[in-house]
Amino acid sequence: MKPAPFGYLAPRSVDETLELMASHGDDAKVIAGGQSLGPLLNLRLATPAMVIDLNRILELAGISAHDGDGLTIGAMTRQHDAETSPAVAAACPLLAEALPYVAHRTIRNRGTIGGSLAHSDPAAELPAVVTAVRAEMVIRSRSGERTIPAEEFFLGYFTAALEPDELLVAVRVPAVPARTTSAWQEFATRSGDYAIVGVAAVIGLDGAGVVDRASIVCSGIADVPRQLSTAQSALVGQEPTSAVIAAAVAAQHTDPPADLVGSSSYRRHLVGVLAQRALEAATERQEGNDDRPTG
Amino acid sequence: MTVQPDEVVVTVTVNGETVRHLVDPRTTAADFLRDGLELTGTHLGCEHGVCGACTVLLDGRSVRSCILYAPQLDGCEVTTVEGLSPVPGELHPIQEAFRECHGLQCGFCTPGFLLTVHEFLSETKGADEDEIREAISGNLCRCTGYQGIVAAVQRADETWQR
Amino acid sequence: MAAVTGTSVRPTAPPGLIGTRVNRVEDARLLAGRGRYVADVTLPRIKHAAFVRAWPSHARILSIDTTRARTLPGVVAALTAADLPPATLVDGNWIPGLAKTPQPVLARDKVRFVGEAVAIVVATSRYVAEDAAELVEVDYEQLPAVDHAGRRPSGHVPILDELPDDLIYDRGESFGNPDLMFRDAPHVFVKDLALARSMAAPLECRGTVASYDPAAGSLDVWCSTQSPHLLRRRLSAASGVAEHRVRVMMHDVGGGFGQKIAAHPEELAIALASCALGIPVKWIEDRRENLMAAPHARGQRVHLKLATDDDGRFLALRARIVGDAGAYSFNAASALIEPYITARVMTGVYRIDHYGYHVAAGLTNKSPVAPYRGVGFIAAQTARELLIDEAARSLGIDRFELRRRNMIRPDDFPYRSCTGLVFDSGSYLEALTTVERMSAYDDFRCEQEQARASGRFIGLGISPYVEPTGWGTEAMNQIGWHSFPSNDSARVSMDISGKVTISIGTPSQGQGIETTLAQISAEVLGIPLDDVVVSFTDSSSAPTSLAGTRASRAAVVSGGAVGLASQDLRERILKVAGALMETDASILTVADGVITDPSEDAASMTVAEVVQKAFQLTEIRSAEPEPNFTATRFYDPGATYGNACVGAVVEVDPQTGGVRVLRIVGAEDCGTVINQVVVEGQFIGGMAQGLGGALLERLAYDENGEILTTTFMDYLLPTSTEVPHFEVEHLESPSPYTWRGIKGVGESGTIGAPAAIAAAIADALAHTGSTVDRLPMLPEDVRAMVEQGEDRG
Repeated sequence: MKPAPFGYLAPRSVDETLELMASHGDDAKVIAGGQSLGPLLNLRLATPAMVIDLNRILELAGISAHDGDGLTIGAMTRQHDAETSPAVAAACPLLAEALPYVAHRTIRNRGTIGGSLAHSDPAAELPAVVTAVRAEMVIRSRSGERTIPAEEFFLGYFTAALEPDELLVAVRVPAVPARTTSAWQEFATRSGDYAIVGVAAVIGLDGAGVVDRASIVCSGIADVPRQLSTAQSALVGQEPTSAVIAAAVAAQHTDPPADLVGSSSYRRHLVGVLAQRALEAATERQEGNDDRPTG
Repeated sequence: MTVQPDEVVVTVTVNGETVRHLVDPRTTAADFLRDGLELTGTHLGCEHGVCGACTVLLDGRSVRSCILYAPQLDGCEVTTVEGLSPVPGELHPIQEAFRECHGLQCGFCTPGFLLTVHEFLSETKGADEDEIREAISGNLCRCTGYQGIVAAVQRADETWQR
Repeated sequence: MAAVTGTSVRPTAPPGLIGTRVNRVEDARLLAGRGRYVADVTLPRIKHAAFVRAWPSHARILSIDTTRARTLPGVVAALTAADLPPATLVDGNWIPGLAKTPQPVLARDKVRFVGEAVAIVVATSRYVAEDAAELVEVDYEQLPAVDHAGRRPSGHVPILDELPDDLIYDRGESFGNPDLMFRDAPHVFVKDLALARSMAAPLECRGTVASYDPAAGSLDVWCSTQSPHLLRRRLSAASGVAEHRVRVMMHDVGGGFGQKIAAHPEELAIALASCALGIPVKWIEDRRENLMAAPHARGQRVHLKLATDDDGRFLALRARIVGDAGAYSFNAASALIEPYITARVMTGVYRIDHYGYHVAAGLTNKSPVAPYRGVGFIAAQTARELLIDEAARSLGIDRFELRRRNMIRPDDFPYRSCTGLVFDSGSYLEALTTVERMSAYDDFRCEQEQARASGRFIGLGISPYVEPTGWGTEAMNQIGWHSFPSNDSARVSMDISGKVTISIGTPSQGQGIETTLAQISAEVLGIPLDDVVVSFTDSSSAPTSLAGTRASRAAVVSGGAVGLASQDLRERILKVAGALMETDASILTVADGVITDPSEDAASMTVAEVVQKAFQLTEIRSAEPEPNFTATRFYDPGATYGNACVGAVVEVDPQTGGVRVLRIVGAEDCGTVINQVVVEGQFIGGMAQGLGGALLERLAYDENGEILTTTFMDYLLPTSTEVPHFEVEHLESPSPYTWRGIKGVGESGTIGAPAAIAAAIADALAHTGSTVDRLPMLPEDVRAMVEQGEDRG
């Protein structure tokens, strides 16, 4: 199980990387943490002629907090660093909660936030999380920088809205609005593996305790992180009791694909179970926290 | 068929010794350590990043060397199982604990466990059993049922002066 | 710390190294990263091999074109079946009625499973070999796949021309009069259980380095194997190199669990490639190859019926077993080994005099089946114990009580089961009672009630069992595997410094054989443990053992041979010592390397002094004309049976179907314990593998025979977070039929745990009225039990 031949380039800056990407085009593959690409290379499921390694680009790593106005997480920030970052815990508790579910510590030591997002595996945690918190993806090419909402970034299985000459350089996480809480729930046959289904839930309440914002995003049930928009709409304007949550979740139609780890109907059932649990957990976190976002 | 790309130079410090090698870029770090540097203590159990047998420390952090490529080691420090004990012929307290607690049988997964545990115990003291099980859950062992390994981590937590 | 409990006592041996917890002697090198596995072997001029493997499951080979592969720089050769001697793997047809299915070393006219080797590429590195393997062009005419034993797809073409219905075995046998008993029985309970294919999955895959020297006409082979002498025979037959010129060398092996017993086509192909090319060739299997093409296991459907009276006494049992053999039977009756053993051990620890079974084994377009730890036992154990629980529920009899009523009792030994197994000794009731106590059964029942009231579902499963261990000739005969004699010897050799080297044909794959055999020899000889080493097995010097390390036999068989040889050696040393000390040898004692004459003011000599003098003083030859301190003994034990009971407590999440194993307790009895550290390691490690088989592991194929589980992301081994802390107690019922009463424990935990876990799931969900009908029970299967209960209202 050895990779096919490839050439190797290790640029030191984003600009240099963009030049190299432009000149190699589709023949090149960018490697970030390599925790997904490495297996694909070894299995010869990916056979790029050139591998462009981002690991020496210091400017791409790091987390910057914007004074109560959210976070910017550099694409090459290691998952373990984000997981243990007080800034992430404070400004994006959903991400902090979901990260420990990403494989195992050793994988998260090397795996990056940007790598996982650009890989666009709909079974992974991070695409669902950034969609649920309405993060923005910061993308650069030689012609400049653009920003797109997370929900427009994931186009299909392993397909992100990135042109061959474009690089995901950061993800920008907005500040958590007041009275907004979140929770992550997932179910996997074996801990540390891709979940059969995962659910990210974000609940915002108005001063009267009525839902004014709901985000429910699932991993593992479509080719992209799937928002449960019917359930979201059904929650808004209601007090999030268990019964209300159950009714909202029951109203949601999903049509998950079947594979080795779960049939379509089992996955559909898990969506209901986990969405209920995630929404209830998020709601519980509202208690005693009238203004401040909590984890 | 792609043209065989040129080899690249890798300068890396492994177990305290700095070496310079020419490598085919696709060479995995594990194969580089095993074949290039003849450090065969690093084992390959799956070659797709799941089993953890190939775990080494890269600049002090545990990584899977089977899904890392030799050029990526350039300028880095690597610790393999061969570098755990500072004194040849003696065992590191973690290794000693594995022996005392029957933390290994066939020994194939063991080097990966040792380095994972090294990182864990470097950062943590007094972990409970659940935390230990979580810490080693990225390494597969087919022989022991993990019981001896968990006991060894508990033992090393006490014996390793750090 | 586990306690030794029970009435059984150690046999008459004086306190010594046997029975002492000592740390393993092999550990230091393994911990230091200085283990020597086959992947670490390198030789001058060595080249690396990759196999071209079939992608269709069933197809005729129309053509193979290696031209492009051969012209790739770095490629030494690309070989097909046409380039090698026409070797096949086939063993003797020991079971009457079993059809032979020879397997070519490389596929010749047809491929019969995904992953079957079609060609070998040899190149300067494994990387280049894999590059070139992709360039080998094979034209196939695809044929319909047989994906289930006994299924005939439309347009069916037999897997082997000579077996039109793909059936390789279809027979039954009856003991007592089950027909009559079933006819008149007040109660009959029925159980169907399907076991998915799973596999040993040792962390080290298979691997071979073969080096043929055309000048010497000799073939040296390093291999990750459990049976070096068996492999040597197969290599000799395939290559035409005389057996004494074939040398199989073993170093460390990274786990075997049965997968490395058989000689494999790849191992022969690598040797033949080395012979053809005259250079050393190395093949290190990768995980994808291992999951796809290394032997699989299990793959059975069991239909079981139990007749009882109103008191729950077992009147009769009937089994119908269908085995999925895979595409070939290349090993010792491998295609039959699962279902046949299942049939023969079905009655378990119970007094059942009337029993009938029928076994059918059919070829399928899947990887062949070979032994995997607990082979055959697991299906029997799980089906039977689940059925007994279902009977207990239906009859309103407590599960422990129902088992107790039917269990073989201490005064029944030796007990002859209706299928002819003669249970030598054991602690069946005691093991059950121990697990009842360890699991705090009465408290558990209350806890379960309370949990259920609060919407939590916990369950307890129990699994008492007996298993043949230490397989020698008599054990094979009793199981019904006739004409398979056991033939193992060990050599114990003391050098002039008084240190001992042991040589055996049953090498370790991690079981600690280096330690346990050294303990035996050191105790018998009266020398320190450190003065004994067990050498790596080299077929050119090790005494022959065709069976090798398998079937929980090394401690019993090689242990006995080492014990007997050490005894011989001890007598020779004392004879010389008696001559040197001018005293009667029979009164001398030896301990810690010192020989003492108790009559002469405790005059003493060290063992080393005695041996040195014997080598150097020719006058000693009047007392001992052949002062060589090497003894070789053959040992073929009587049939012996270990026993144990495993209990499991699980919690089921009825919404997700997730199962968490909260506790596993076990009481095991492997007769005389050599080293508790090793016994616990085997037992606990075995239970963890059993947990994998119960909850996680299955090799899946689609209806076209394409394998879907080719990575460790799809084939799930248990990790440290799936496995609980195991609580173990030891019972000790030495065998009257083996050296020092040793029984063997290698497979035990693997046999017992799946039934306990499956039964615990069934118990947790008993209120649903649903039953466990398969292994593994994946979350979706558990969820389906809940849904079926909901549907029933």
